[in-house]
Amino acid sequence: MGNDDHALIRNVLAGEKNAYGLLVARHSQSVFRVAFRITENEADAEEIVQEAFLRGYLKLEDFDARSNFRTWIYRIAMNCALDVLNRRKNQATLSIAEEYDSEKTTVQPADGAAGPDRLLLSQEIEARRQVAMEKLTPTERLAFVMRHMEDRSTEEIAGALGIAPNSAKQAVFRAVQKLRQSLAPLWVKS
Amino acid sequence: MKHLTEEEMIEHYYSEDFYKAEAELHLQACKHCAQAYEEIGKLLRSIRSPEMPARSSDHGAQVWQSIQGSLQPYASKRKRSYFRWFHLAYATACLLVLAGAFVAGRMWEHAHAKPSLASNPQQAKERVVLFVLDNHLDRSERLLVQLNHAGAERESVDFPLQAEAQQLLTDNRLYRQSVAQANDPLLAAALDHLERVLLEVANSPGELSAADVARIEQEMNTQGLLFQIRILRTKISEQTVNAQAVRKGAAL
Repeated sequence: MGNDDHALIRNVLAGEKNAYGLLVARHSQSVFRVAFRITENEADAEEIVQEAFLRGYLKLEDFDARSNFRTWIYRIAMNCALDVLNRRKNQATLSIAEEYDSEKTTVQPADGAAGPDRLLLSQEIEARRQVAMEKLTPTERLAFVMRHMEDRSTEEIAGALGIAPNSAKQAVFRAVQKLRQSLAPLWVKS
Repeated sequence: MKHLTEEEMIEHYYSEDFYKAEAELHLQACKHCAQAYEEIGKLLRSIRSPEMPARSSDHGAQVWQSIQGSLQPYASKRKRSYFRWFHLAYATACLLVLAGAFVAGRMWEHAHAKPSLASNPQQAKERVVLFVLDNHLDRSERLLVQLNHAGAERESVDFPLQAEAQQLLTDNRLYRQSVAQANDPLLAAALDHLERVLLEVANSPGELSAADVARIEQEMNTQGLLFQIRILRTKISEQTVNAQAVRKGAAL
């Protein structure tokens, strides 16, 4: 696959623009997956996919032939995701946090509860998780998604975010701490 | 017992801790840390990836359709940067042409000069002989001049002049034998004449008196020999110049 990608890249650089379409078709699903996990918004994820492949095309001359295209476009997608998260942070049109303030929420599912209670708890956890995720900084959020959901190593996270490995580790740590603070009351009550 | 920090527990959960085995042992031994680790694990296990909206199989094609309009083929990009590269390529080509011409010239010179020199070893030998012979005649001329001066001033000839004559005598024998093989009777006769004068000067017992010098001058006609040698030196100088001209012409 990697070699095929390199052949397609050579064709694109030789003037065959449509060869890039094959690269997009090959990797768009995986880029969308990570973009959606980060943003948790379908429209934002689609925007990231398009922006990532657009930037990738424009920077294709800088692509190192020894690299893996998948990893390379993944990094570009991370940067696009960071931009989207920062923009979203700045706009701050709607604070989900206010809707799910931890002090106001009182859910007490019984131990060994039947299906509906479990479902309720899951929905509550999911809602709180979304709130907690919104409270993370863009870097913390990306680092946590890559670590927890994409199963990427600290070095890979650091490389994608352009930060030191220790900073990447600290970002994951801070993200987990914040999530604990937001979600812990649920576990105490349960 | 040192308890695990929250950071160490998180690292352990993601299997990124350096001391995994030690952390595992501690968690088995320490209830406090085990409980805290269980809480962290419970929390992290509860955080799952959001449900992924399904993408159609032609998702890639749709993405491509949405971006391809704003992309320009790389060939046209190359045209834009063509002139920049053209200048660089032109400068490089000029340098290569210059370097090539220089190398070709050197090779041509090397290829043509060597055979011409190698094919005329006789000419090379003659040039050496002319040079050495000219040097010998020059030294002989100076000796004869001193001898004639001594004769004119009626002075005796000192020992260093005799030593010089002895040295010249040895050399002269070699040159005379060499010239005898060549077809140059004038030079052969002059060297023969010179040898007899040198022999007389070199082999005199003690210092040559003014009377001895006068006798040698008279009997051996050293004035005539000096004139002869000067003519020969002029001739040899001309031959040397001609030989150098021929060599330069061959090298070109």
